[in-house]
Amino acid sequence: MQKYIQVVKNTFAEYTAYRLNFLLWRVRMVVRLIVIYTLWQAFFSSQKVIFGYSESQILTYILISEIVANFVYSTRTQDLGSEIQQGNLTNYLLRPLNYFGFLLSRDILDKSLNVFFSIIEVILLFIFFKPQIILVQNFGHLLLFMTAVFIGVSLYFCISLTLSLFSFWTQESWAPRFLFFIISDFLSGGLFPLDILPKAIFNILNVLPFPYLLYFPLKIYLGQLTSQNIIQGMIISLLWLFMLIFIVKKVWAKGLRLYTAEGR
Amino acid sequence: MHSIVIKNLKKYYQVYQKKPGLLGSISSLISRKYKTVKAVDDISFSINEGELVGFIGPNGAGKTTTLKCLSGLLYPNHGQISVLNFYPYDRKNEFLKNIALVMGQKNQLWWDLPPIDSFHLNKEVYEIDDEQFKKTLDELTNLLSLGNLISVPVRKLSLGERMKCELIGALLHRPKILFLDEPTIGLDVVMQKTIRDFIAAYNHRFKATIILTSHYMEDVKELCKRVIIIDKGKLLFDGNLSDIVKKYAPEKLLSITFDKFVNIRDLANIGDIKKYEYPHAIIAVKREDTSKIAALLLEKFSIDDLNIEEPDIEDIIRRVFSKK
Repeated sequence: MQKYIQVVKNTFAEYTAYRLNFLLWRVRMVVRLIVIYTLWQAFFSSQKVIFGYSESQILTYILISEIVANFVYSTRTQDLGSEIQQGNLTNYLLRPLNYFGFLLSRDILDKSLNVFFSIIEVILLFIFFKPQIILVQNFGHLLLFMTAVFIGVSLYFCISLTLSLFSFWTQESWAPRFLFFIISDFLSGGLFPLDILPKAIFNILNVLPFPYLLYFPLKIYLGQLTSQNIIQGMIISLLWLFMLIFIVKKVWAKGLRLYTAEGR
Repeated sequence: MHSIVIKNLKKYYQVYQKKPGLLGSISSLISRKYKTVKAVDDISFSINEGELVGFIGPNGAGKTTTLKCLSGLLYPNHGQISVLNFYPYDRKNEFLKNIALVMGQKNQLWWDLPPIDSFHLNKEVYEIDDEQFKKTLDELTNLLSLGNLISVPVRKLSLGERMKCELIGALLHRPKILFLDEPTIGLDVVMQKTIRDFIAAYNHRFKATIILTSHYMEDVKELCKRVIIIDKGKLLFDGNLSDIVKKYAPEKLLSITFDKFVNIRDLANIGDIKKYEYPHAIIAVKREDTSKIAALLLEKFSIDDLNIEEPDIEDIIRRVFSKK
């Protein structure tokens, strides 16, 4: 355990070495948030209800999704791709250290930092725009919301790892990752609530892992899902999670056999 | 007791070949041709506890591949490997805690942090207790006279300083087995010497088994009694360094200082004249004829000094590699 705490400490030290980098990343996230936020606000200047959502519901959705997205999407698992390609994975394989534990420790720090800053940003935005925010209705919903977020985080961790593991076979792991990120930003409900899509498309999406990254936990937060919806969502997302864990394990073991520890 | 045993080790790679140019790139999208490269092809040897063995061969001979198989990074296609009675590829914690691989061209230290931060991580990773950590760190920093440099971010260190820190990082847990892959590459002669002395000291102090690869024969000459030579994945020689000379050099060198001027033509039928600049000459003669020819020379010419020398090891190795 002590080793992974030290990994967290060192990762923090590493981040402080590149303060500007981190700061600019945050600026990017804030700009993105303001764009989405003001866009939706503009829609509501002429109408009271759009796609069955009131203004405060949508704005709450956008603001809370910002925090959840930071929690789900901040990860260092993409590093694995280049570690494989440049042969640096060697450093971890040679030591009595679980590489997934190592990545998880780094992710804990990365997520904490990002969530910490995104909460501050959302509070500032709140003070600035003074929107009507809907608070979570009861403790039960909060608990379910947090469970769903935790599943979302785990799902993304596994998906991102799988994308990185492609590097054992191809030198081009960046392209699939980029494509995935764009698709996932759209399909996970980061830009708008997914249920405003046509029913047929929405139903298909529901059996894919994407909605469970953002949309599903947020809907629980807003209290807009029936118990049946929630149970169904939890089952589907957990099935995906188990499947992805299985895939990661298999692909990792297979990939390591091909690993050539190359590099100059 | 053997700490390392390799039997019939084979490691083949599939390398994909691309035709040159844009057309080649396009056709490689559709179909790719793969070629099998035999990086290590049926190699066997064993190494005793506490031995320091030089592992030499030209670029691409399979040295690094062998070391990677021994340290459990690569999955061998064929053969048996045992290191401290472990099968390396299993990468058991007990095995990993007792080995270290240092590559002269790779970093294990965190680039943006001072080495001391990486050392602390290693302390936890290898579960070294405080007292031993402090003791080993002091000892190693003293041996390499590093001082405060361990608190400077790695990216700001010079190549030599970085190499010293890499070595410390790799040795904090006092591995019983140490694989050194060109640890002196790119270093100046003074630094090379420092690293060399350090390796010898570590070998003595901790009774560690060490395999060293290097392109600098100086490293091998000074550190290793035994050498293993491989080329194109095959084992060429395994034995004492001094035996290479006997095996591959059929001649010895006579180094002569003449008293009086001698015409080069008079020396021609004695042996192969390597160099002649009056008053000094170096002549290569057959090993078995050495004493006979030396006596003949002393009789025939007026000689101030005559030495019988072994040919330079570097020359011999070069000859071994260019032979086939």
